[in-house]
Amino acid sequence: MSLVEPMPETDAVVVVDSLSVTFPSDEGVAEVVRGVSFSVGKGQRIGLVGESGSGKSLTARAIMQLIPSPGSVSAGEIRIAGNSAALSTANAPQWRGTTVAMITQDPLSSLNPLVRIGVQITEMLRHHLNYTRTQARARAVELLSAVGIPNPPRTLRQFPSVLSGGMRQRVALAIAISCNPSLLIADEPTTALDVTIQAQVLDLLEEMSATHHSAVLLISHDLGVVANFCDEILVMYAGRIVESGPTDQLIEDPQHPYTTALLTSVPSMTEALPERLVSIAGSPPVGGVAVKGCAFAPRCALAQPRCFEDEPALRQLDVSARRVACHAAGNATWPSRFQGPS
Amino acid sequence: MINLPENELDFGIAGSEPTMLGQPNFWRRALKSLMHDGVALASVAFIVLLVIVAVFAPWISPYNPVQQFANGLSPVGAPVGPGSHFLLGTDSAARDVLSRLIYGARVSLLVGVVATSLASAIGVVVGAIAGYAGGIVESVLMRLTDMVLSFPILLFCVALIAVTGPSTRNVVLVIAFAYWTYLARVVRGQVLSLKEREFVTAARTLGVGHIKIIRKHILPHLMPTIIVYATLGIATSILLEASLSFLGIGVPLPQASWGEMISEGQQYFQSAPWLLIAPGVALILTVLAFNLAGDWLTDLLDPATREGR
Amino acid sequence: MTQTSTLLSVRDLSVHFRLRRGPKDSRNVRAVDGVTFEIAKGQTLGIAGESGSGKSTVARSLVQITRPTGGTIYLDGSDVTSLKGRRLKEFRRRMQMVFQDPYDSLDPRMSVRDAIGEALSVSGLPGPRHDETVEELLRRVNLPASLARRYPGQLSGGQRQRVSIARALAVNPKIIICDEAVAALDVSIRAQVLNLLKDIQHDTGVAYLFISHDLSTLRFMADQVAIMYVGRVVEYGTSDEVFSRPLHPYTKALIAAVPSVTTRGRTRLKLSGEPPDPGNPPSGCPFHPRCPEAVDQCRLTRPELGTTDEGQSVACHVVLSRHGRDATRQVSP
Repeated sequence: MSLVEPMPETDAVVVVDSLSVTFPSDEGVAEVVRGVSFSVGKGQRIGLVGESGSGKSLTARAIMQLIPSPGSVSAGEIRIAGNSAALSTANAPQWRGTTVAMITQDPLSSLNPLVRIGVQITEMLRHHLNYTRTQARARAVELLSAVGIPNPPRTLRQFPSVLSGGMRQRVALAIAISCNPSLLIADEPTTALDVTIQAQVLDLLEEMSATHHSAVLLISHDLGVVANFCDEILVMYAGRIVESGPTDQLIEDPQHPYTTALLTSVPSMTEALPERLVSIAGSPPVGGVAVKGCAFAPRCALAQPRCFEDEPALRQLDVSARRVACHAAGNATWPSRFQGPS
Repeated sequence: MINLPENELDFGIAGSEPTMLGQPNFWRRALKSLMHDGVALASVAFIVLLVIVAVFAPWISPYNPVQQFANGLSPVGAPVGPGSHFLLGTDSAARDVLSRLIYGARVSLLVGVVATSLASAIGVVVGAIAGYAGGIVESVLMRLTDMVLSFPILLFCVALIAVTGPSTRNVVLVIAFAYWTYLARVVRGQVLSLKEREFVTAARTLGVGHIKIIRKHILPHLMPTIIVYATLGIATSILLEASLSFLGIGVPLPQASWGEMISEGQQYFQSAPWLLIAPGVALILTVLAFNLAGDWLTDLLDPATREGR
Repeated sequence: MTQTSTLLSVRDLSVHFRLRRGPKDSRNVRAVDGVTFEIAKGQTLGIAGESGSGKSTVARSLVQITRPTGGTIYLDGSDVTSLKGRRLKEFRRRMQMVFQDPYDSLDPRMSVRDAIGEALSVSGLPGPRHDETVEELLRRVNLPASLARRYPGQLSGGQRQRVSIARALAVNPKIIICDEAVAALDVSIRAQVLNLLKDIQHDTGVAYLFISHDLSTLRFMADQVAIMYVGRVVEYGTSDEVFSRPLHPYTKALIAAVPSVTTRGRTRLKLSGEPPDPGNPPSGCPFHPRCPEAVDQCRLTRPELGTTDEGQSVACHVVLSRHGRDATRQVSP
């Protein structure tokens, strides 16, 4: 995963370099993703966590070159392994689906409701891999049974709307994985699903990415989902990465007060519960409104005058593979320590 | 159902909020949007001009529209062409065409506005009751609507006026009776989805009465649709009135009406083309202006179609 | 809990309806089927379940948005199952509801003041005293009084949900039903609203029926928990019992499936398959096709809710034969 010094690009499947996304607004432009950099290594599973408006979904869409109008990528670039050119809309047909594929929260919106599932799967195979009609059909049946669809030949003839949410997500996954992408972006893939189905889909995502050697970028608002699935976690707040690092380190020893607060504001399933939850006062800034200093400062229990003046850079913390954007992190002389629960 | 966190792509960038009637910045937004849209501005300006002309017809019009002038016919008894005395010429009965056109605007607007208001009122009441009540009430009202909707409108009007006799009042009633169905269907559809919204359920659990729910939580949401339909309805009503007058069963003579003028003008088109062109152009421009203004209002009031979403 | 403190008592509540899919395909859907529970004054009952479990239908039938087709609802000891007209309106004031979607539960064309004012008018407060009371209610949900003039479109999701809570409080209810009330909120905002709901309960003694698919939220909020599956309660007990010692295989799987940062990396009990169509449930125990412990009896007869030796209620042949007694008797908790 990415350090401050980007890893040698030969090991990375996708490198996101200083990405910014802007939308026009009444006051000029709103920068909703600000200087996001990270890279995804071969077969890695990376989690991107954040609340509404944190810019996590837009980051995913920027990689796919699918920023909704009137927004646009205003700075930075995205590079993929073995391809000197940066990803762009112009060469999208070559890489979209084959090098980078995406599944979204509601497959009903990514699957065409008026086209039979069979056609939607075989279309991909025939277009990208030049399969014949018979080959593509055979492969489609194989893929659908691999994702646990009970009766693949029948499902091929069905329309997406007759399937349950879990089954639709399985079909979407089968399509996404069909051309062995080196990166699979999963944008809130289980948010619309029941918890027992969510567990099934996450397992399947793990299994499929392993057998197809795909790296996964999992985007979620749920730190629990990400912690159970990913090797590395990126935490986003107000358009920036505020903390990143290997899952165990980040969960057990969070350095950014926002990460700490995210961890403590979800009631535990196993430990004794406090009478009140530790909550973060206020609400996240509205997307793209420029804030002076650290965007989290107004809600932060640790904030000092300096935090309202200069925005902390995302810096590497000691020798570990962790980055954090907070003046207080690793600063022994910082006035008051954040008080956790209990 | 399982709930979703707020969609991240829907962050609150200022300006993406729908324009809402009754909200403090509504008029400012409307004016701003009008200033950016030349076609809409021209249409609204034309409608305003038309209203002024219609209201102040007695002061604006050069002559009495029914007065027959001694110098209104040429020596051979033909209508006089446009000139300095009669700006748009005279008709076969030696009356001033411009004055008749101005008084005709009165009739057109009056019929258009009154008939549309009446049709809207019936349509909203029928549609809202059908949609809100559901069940047998809905079935009866909607079958009735379908019946009226399936009549051939023009033939239906001709038959009805043949029975009731031509008068401005009958023309208005007939048009209103023919057009309430469109709004009734649209309103019913909207009420069906509105009554399932959580804020309506919330009002019900509070114990708010049905009448009050319709009045306070449902009708205000229908206003954009009603306004847009009414604007388009005025254009349609004006056309229908012209058609009826053209057929000689509209506004009774000698009162001026554009339809009647077109009807007469077509007989003299070879020798006196202004008799057809003047009311024809007035009619086309008016209908066009109302339609374009309706389109603009749709864009302004209906957030779903705004910005291509 | 003693009989005198019981506020809401629901016996055998059922909501059945006919679903027509075509001229010949019409079936009876048992959205809620024989549900029994009680809520004491000032307490919180949590109902958990997946889509199609009928948990939201229970909520809607309690406030009579959907009419129950069977069973009885007692509020404060009196039967409120089939009230009409004025008495229904009066009853509604005692039972309020906070909805899931903060973007839909407030009328976008009504200011905050008017939305809360509407509730005040219903409860008979004269107009001139509204402003003052609205301010007081906003203060109680930790919102500035200046928000009264705003429209829902100008508020964040968390603020809207607080306004919904203030509107529910405006009629002084005895019980508030929260149907996935925090599900649409971001985690940091969710914690604020949960704390607020607890504070309000502490101050006013209001009872909650808290419906959620999120077990960690229920564990924090609820004193008692009922787990529903395809229209029926499969396990019922105190929050401590159910979460620390779940008995029903479904409850166990549901708890195990919660992705939690503290239990990451552990191998967990996995459920295969999906919940059945409520219009066409399997024979016997509706959970048997997904159940790792199912025996032949589960395919044949449907287990009733029975009490175990420890006093927990569970509807499972296997568990009851192991721990239980009274497997056939309807339980009164």
